[in-house]
Amino acid sequence: MTRARRMWGVLVIGFGVGAALGGAARAGEEDDLQRQIDTQKSTVVDLERLDDLKAVTDEIGRLRSWLDEAWGLRAKHEYDEVRTVLDRALKQEDLIRAEIVVSKLRAQELKREASMKEIKEKVAHTRKALQETSEKKKALEKAAQ
Amino acid sequence: MKGGALPIAVALLAVGAACATPPKPRELEALDNLRTTNQAKLPEVAKRAPDLMAEADRRGNAAHEEWQSNDLDESRNNALMAQIKLKTAIALYDQDQLKNQIQTLSGQQAQAEEEYASLAKDLASEQEKVALLQKYVDARKAAEADKQQMSTEQQKAKADHDKLSQQLSAEQKIAAARMALRMADTVEAVQYARDQYSAAGDLLARSEAALKQNDFAGAEAAAVAAKKSADDAAVAAKPSYEKAEESSQNKARNEALVRDAPTIPGVKVRIDPRGDLQRLVIVVPEMFSKRDPNIAPGHDYVLDAVANLLKKYPSYPVQLVGYTDNRGKSTELIAISAARAQAVYSALAERGVETKRLMVSGLGGEDPFVDNKSASGRAKNNRVEIVFLYH
Repeated sequence: MTRARRMWGVLVIGFGVGAALGGAARAGEEDDLQRQIDTQKSTVVDLERLDDLKAVTDEIGRLRSWLDEAWGLRAKHEYDEVRTVLDRALKQEDLIRAEIVVSKLRAQELKREASMKEIKEKVAHTRKALQETSEKKKALEKAAQ
Repeated sequence: MKGGALPIAVALLAVGAACATPPKPRELEALDNLRTTNQAKLPEVAKRAPDLMAEADRRGNAAHEEWQSNDLDESRNNALMAQIKLKTAIALYDQDQLKNQIQTLSGQQAQAEEEYASLAKDLASEQEKVALLQKYVDARKAAEADKQQMSTEQQKAKADHDKLSQQLSAEQKIAAARMALRMADTVEAVQYARDQYSAAGDLLARSEAALKQNDFAGAEAAAVAAKKSADDAAVAAKPSYEKAEESSQNKARNEALVRDAPTIPGVKVRIDPRGDLQRLVIVVPEMFSKRDPNIAPGHDYVLDAVANLLKKYPSYPVQLVGYTDNRGKSTELIAISAARAQAVYSALAERGVETKRLMVSGLGGEDPFVDNKSASGRAKNNRVEIVFLYH
């Protein structure tokens, strides 16, 4: 074996090892992105359950479409785009959580306002009843004299 | 010239088309709309989430630049990220606002509930007072109604009682009038006070008729008048009745006396009227011998019988009159005759005769019982006469 042939052999082996390592790295990244997508998809289910008031269905739908988009991009091995979409999806999750909290707080506020309205009506009703009772009492006191 | 100008124009158009701004991406348009819609509160949102707002601004600016430089994919991605950041910042701001609002509402609700509790308490208190007052007023009304009903019943009972009292009073007055008429009957007022008696009878009949018609006042008035008339009739009739009765009784007694007196053995009885005065004279002859003022023995049975007769008729005044014969001085004969009457007086007194009804006198030889010519005649004239006086 000549020196040149030996070098070619090293190169070929190196290329093969490199190719093998590159393929392994790509396969690892793909799996990682798939896990991220799956994790986020399962998070979507959690978010839908959290959104019992159905206040952020649009945002959840958008998130779901982005995850589908990421899934498609992953299949095309466009990993940078997948990461970009996943990054956006993560932020969208934060947004959805924040808006779910807002919706729950708004519902709580509405409930409070309803309670407030009810208690105000009770106060008004009781005040009126008290006034009527006081007038009745005065009349009875007069009758009792 | 013409052949060279056309390619130049086409080239210019191509360059112009290449340099022209592409249509605004939908995501960037949405971002701008989001900003416009929330323009008013964005300063406050920026205070709440400055990092998010800064990131949103940065991404938004980049999106615009990329759009201007026709890098539409990057522009879309940055616009979407900017939207997400902005929406998240707004959501955080809204959370704070809502929390504050809820807290405020909670405070207001607590205050309102406190006010409600206070009002409810006051209302309950007032309602309790009203209930008590109502009970009191109702009880008072009921008491007044009972009082009124009782008063009505009392008035009715009083009216019934008054009516019964009037009826009873009228009946009592009628009974009194009847009794007065009975009393008038006992003195025969129908005979001796005819007019008054008749008036009393009429008034009594009127009174009874009024009583039947429940005219108690009229009945009572008529009964009172009837009683008065009956009483007046009785008063008016009484003297006449008593007089008649006495006369009747006296007559019967006198007749009995006249029947009884002759039953005494050895005496002579005669009726010797003097005017209105009737005189039953019992002569006990030969009771004394010659001038002796004492009663001759053997006359006890006569004196006993005379005494019994006097006791049987106790209402008669009786004269004891002594007599003598006509031999002697008149004054002496009178003294002897008076002594003889006194002797009989004493004998009768000894036999229990009430002496105050006896009157003693002596008439001497006056009024001879028989002729004094013979000795037996003179003996008979020495006597005492027991004289019952009556009308």
